[in-house]
Amino acid sequence: MGAVPIRSSSLTREGSCLMSSNRLRIVGFAVAGLVVVALLALMAVAGAFRLFPPTPVTDRAHEIDGLYHFVFAIAVGVFVIVEGLIIFAVVRYGRKPTDTELPPQVHGNNLLEIVWTVVPTIIVAVMFVFSFNSLNKVDAVANTTDVRIRAVAAQFQWSFEYLSADGQQVQFEQLAPEMTVPAGRPVHLSLRSRDVIHAFYVPKFLFKRDVVPGRENVFEFTVDPADAGQTFRGQCAELCGTFHGSMLFTVKALAPADYDTWLAAQIEKARQSPPPAGSAAPGQLELQLEAKDVKFDKATLEAPADKPFSIKFQNDDPSVAHNVAIHDSTGQEVFKGEIFQGVDVRTYPIPPLKAGSYTFVCSVHPNMTGTLTVK
Amino acid sequence: MATTALTPAATGTRSSLYEWLTTTDHKKIGILYLVNSFLMFFIAGALALMVRVELAAPGIQFLKEDVYNQAFTIHASVMIFLFIIPILAGFGNYIVPLMIGAPDMAFPRINALSFWMLPLAAILILTGFLTGGAAAAGWTSYAPLSEAKYSGTGQDLWIVGVILIGTSSILGAINFLVTIFKMRAPGMTMFRMPIMAWTVLVTSTLVLLATPVLTSALIMLFIDRNYGGHFFDPASGGNAVLWQNVFWFYSHPAVYIMVLPAMGMISEVLPVFSRKPLFGYKAFVFATAGIGALGFSVWAHHMFTTGAVYLPFFSFMTFLIAIPTGVKMFNWTATLYRGQLTFATPLLFALGFLTMFLIGGINGAISAAVPVDFALHDTYWVVAHLHYVLFGGSVFGVFAGLYYWYPKMFGRKLNETVGKIHFVLMFIGFNLTFFPMHALGLAGMPRRIANYAPDAGWNDLNLLATIGGFTIAAGMVAFLWNIFVTMRSGEPAGDDPWEGNTLEWATSSPPPPYNFDHLPEIRSERPVFDARHKLSGGGH
Amino acid sequence: MTSDALTVTTGAATEGHAREGGISNVILGMLLFITSEVMFFAGLFAAYFNVRATAPVWPPEEFADKLHWLPTAAQPIPVVTVATVLLVLSSLTCQLGVSGIRRGDHRALVRNIGVTVLLGTIFLLMQAFDYTILYGEGVRLDAGTFGTTYYTLTGFHGAHVLGGVIMLSVVLYRAMAGQFSREHHDMVEATSIYWHFVDVVWIALFSTLYIIPNAA
Ligand code: HEA
Ligand code: HEA
Ligand code: CUA
Ligand SMILES: [Cu+2]
Repeated sequence: MGAVPIRSSSLTREGSCLMSSNRLRIVGFAVAGLVVVALLALMAVAGAFRLFPPTPVTDRAHEIDGLYHFVFAIAVGVFVIVEGLIIFAVVRYGRKPTDTELPPQVHGNNLLEIVWTVVPTIIVAVMFVFSFNSLNKVDAVANTTDVRIRAVAAQFQWSFEYLSADGQQVQFEQLAPEMTVPAGRPVHLSLRSRDVIHAFYVPKFLFKRDVVPGRENVFEFTVDPADAGQTFRGQCAELCGTFHGSMLFTVKALAPADYDTWLAAQIEKARQSPPPAGSAAPGQLELQLEAKDVKFDKATLEAPADKPFSIKFQNDDPSVAHNVAIHDSTGQEVFKGEIFQGVDVRTYPIPPLKAGSYTFVCSVHPNMTGTLTVK
Repeated sequence: MATTALTPAATGTRSSLYEWLTTTDHKKIGILYLVNSFLMFFIAGALALMVRVELAAPGIQFLKEDVYNQAFTIHASVMIFLFIIPILAGFGNYIVPLMIGAPDMAFPRINALSFWMLPLAAILILTGFLTGGAAAAGWTSYAPLSEAKYSGTGQDLWIVGVILIGTSSILGAINFLVTIFKMRAPGMTMFRMPIMAWTVLVTSTLVLLATPVLTSALIMLFIDRNYGGHFFDPASGGNAVLWQNVFWFYSHPAVYIMVLPAMGMISEVLPVFSRKPLFGYKAFVFATAGIGALGFSVWAHHMFTTGAVYLPFFSFMTFLIAIPTGVKMFNWTATLYRGQLTFATPLLFALGFLTMFLIGGINGAISAAVPVDFALHDTYWVVAHLHYVLFGGSVFGVFAGLYYWYPKMFGRKLNETVGKIHFVLMFIGFNLTFFPMHALGLAGMPRRIANYAPDAGWNDLNLLATIGGFTIAAGMVAFLWNIFVTMRSGEPAGDDPWEGNTLEWATSSPPPPYNFDHLPEIRSERPVFDARHKLSGGGH
Repeated sequence: MTSDALTVTTGAATEGHAREGGISNVILGMLLFITSEVMFFAGLFAAYFNVRATAPVWPPEEFADKLHWLPTAAQPIPVVTVATVLLVLSSLTCQLGVSGIRRGDHRALVRNIGVTVLLGTIFLLMQAFDYTILYGEGVRLDAGTFGTTYYTLTGFHGAHVLGGVIMLSVVLYRAMAGQFSREHHDMVEATSIYWHFVDVVWIALFSTLYIIPNAA
């Protein structure tokens, strides 16, 4: 074959191409339209759909929130411009039936290249300067506060050691995954891991920091005074094994005076020797329960209705904290036993319960659960 | 006249299974790569759907926590190591020798070896499910979680599998580089090579420099796990963060390994369907090289919250890397400008790439602001980012390339109508799945959790994402249907169905064993365009 | 076929796709492969320097006197030092073989590559001997990061020496079968480059593991 056949075949091909080209364009627009509709519907469906972080509750969180708003505004600007240019080109330059000649074969333009190299450089330089400034504020550690807490993470639990003002002694250890802090006073938090890497994350702090074995990370923050009395959700943010998703904790902010009272009471409690293992009153039912490898040994327990009974709980996990708490069918907590580290044993006296189905659970490890049937 | 040293076209012979298993023809190996990679895509996609089903509502319904962790770990590992990296290598294998007018790759037998390591690796990684649990420490396999004390034998299978894949990539990269440096047709100077060839060149360089570092990390982990080593064990003087440094030293360049060839592919598609040359060819070359070079200096942006890296430096470099990518974005857009766009399926997917990768790139740049990343790290924001670049970018690019080159590979055009249905479902499903994840991440939902509290306020968006995931799956069904329909009764494509620019359109569809009987004269990066318009007297 | 129609025939369209001049595909391939090997060892070295930098003392006290390259009372002729000298020598003999075949001198090729294989093998045997001594002294793979890094680095180097010895043996076999000539001996060139690389890595390792810690 020579030059002539390809010429004709290319022409016929061109013809058919043009006939369908309009239809294709309509399809293209339909696509774009559909997507816009879908996205709008999406926004409507989810009232909670927000492209902003939650309301910040610490000084650092306000800083980060401000930076996010700034960076996000630039991002939206860049997005709208570039996406706009693309959509404009798509809508405007579809091939028309009259387009048999080639469009101008422009190969480039050096001035434009310079513009779209330099302008983004300026933009990112500005973004960098702002985020660098914020970083210095967020990461500042003054080390002058006397509120010193050490969060200790282990598969799959949090505990909190309250340190003396010089940071040398542990005044008491909060074994439940609840950290209490004073609002309006700087808190110095250090992080320690007993096994793998975890991450301390409180969404409303807009902040997280890894808990790395072999190194102690520290940071500081001050909860807004206005948020005294609030409790914030926290959660491990670094994959740390099977129950990473259950590694929850809370942060409770107290007014400074309340915090001092609370702290003194806790220290006092810790000073008293740990409660004796105790034993059940004679004639009363004593259930046996054991925790090993972060699991209960039983999935079901049974107890008589409207009578007090006790649970003898054996914690076989060395230096892992467990307890037994009982929730009714609505999820309401009706009993919470003391949290203690293994290997050790406690006997919990349980108040009389109404007949029904309850769950027993470890407050430290929400994945440790079983059913308690009372009848 | 051209010499006839090369075997003339031997079309029409049907290859037996044996031929496929022993072939060293770069085109057949390329197709093997594509088929294997798509198989892996469906496996990893099915795992993703399982993840989505579990997350559709709070609580544990479908996958227990341990299985869930295996599901997303293997989802990501297969998607990255066995789908996206190999499929791009597969396109490179098929297309690059054709584009530069070479008869085959430089080392055909090593080429076959590179491919056959992949199914073997896949078997290793996936058999974990049958032998007491696959790897479950995430595709990043952070130590110490991935150490013997905390992870089972699935982790060892994963390590060996990924080492195999790495070796396959390294051999492939050497092959590409020698092919590109030494086997270009006369007249095909470096600056006349199609951008696709350039991106494969830069990608191969990245593979050559980065992948061996991953191999060393994996070997250290293996030694720790099996021979009592202490590299990553802080209790005995090792360093837990060391793994992250070595892993990300590989894995950040690797994210460009996962996207550059896709950028190359849309750089071929956009000019053809705009009937214009690529705007700013040299800028593309320099931007690609720039991304490659900068890519080695940003790895610690994955480690901002470790407290163990120098933040301002890595933040700055991460911001900088937006610039060369931006140059590409603008040049692509300028290519469309004043063109004559034909909205065939390849162009739709390429436009999908442009619009979606833009979102992924920008939300990446947002997390370069370190304090903001303190909030966003390890939340669903990052899941949104990585899918916008990897799915919205690379996977859209892969489909653009597939619809574009399918006629060359098999001599038939994929059905346009079904192709558009495929595109529409995939585009909408993709946004439904991954856009809400930005909001989830901001609201504080961590990644890699099987379970979340019903009162955390994440229910609706998760349900939406699950619906989106199944919409994507429906799009994939349309795609499979398209392949099926086309195999039975596809429209014959001819040699040059799209009026292409580059050399692969100057040979038959599918091309003969050694690719070309004759080559057109090469005087620009669009030899076939030049030939067409000289002969027909059209254009300029 | 339309591809014909598109062809603007040029005299040299498909002739000799491999470029004339420049280095051959095989040698370029080997150079690239070595680049990747450099990065592999860079990863291991980085790990070594990292654990060394974080350790309070290096070498740890219990291993302080275990690695030495200068003569001591217990070991008047340190095994590693001898092995190092032999390995450096083998690079030389390897190069002599290469320049032999470049002149077309088959006997020089066979003789020198033969010696190189021998030296490489002796190096491996000496390293194995050294391992047994160290193991006896308590320097084990699982003995802290010191043992782990020592055996990983030297072990992977040893594996590369073994690979090199195997490649050299193939070269030797083919050389004896007369398969190389002055014009066609890419494999000899490529193998020798690899062998020099293995040698250089050892010199880096030797300095890092033996000389530097004791110098301080
Ligand atoms: C194809 C893969 C790919 C690509 C191309 C990218 C591209 C980029 N990525 Fe992404 N990234 C991933 C894959 C990829 N990433 C993956 C898989 C992860 C998660 C890993 C894990 O933990 O599992 C990740 C995680 C990740 C993080 C860590 C988040 C965290 O864990 O906290 C960060 C942080 O900085 C980041 C940044 C960037 C940036 C700045 C780019 C840039 O290259 C993007 C540049 C592009 C643009 C910015 C758009 C176009 C530019 C313009 C229009 C110019 C003007 C723009 C501006 C002025 C802003 N990425
Ligand atoms: C190329 C890369 C790639 C691609 C294409 C995808 C595709 C998808 N990903 Fe993936 N993903 C990653 C890479 C990728 N992902 C990575 C790196 C991570 C991080 C993992 C980690 O944390 O370690 C991740 C994590 C990740 C998560 C977070 C998990 C967690 O943190 O807990 C989720 C959750 O929704 C998710 C979902 C999806 C979905 C729904 C798709 C869909 O787009 C899939 C579409 C494909 C199909 C649906 C299959 C084909 C269809 C059929 C065969 C039809 C018929 C089949 C059925 C109907 C069953 N991915
Ligand atoms: Cu601890 Cu995740
Ligand atoms: Cu990165």
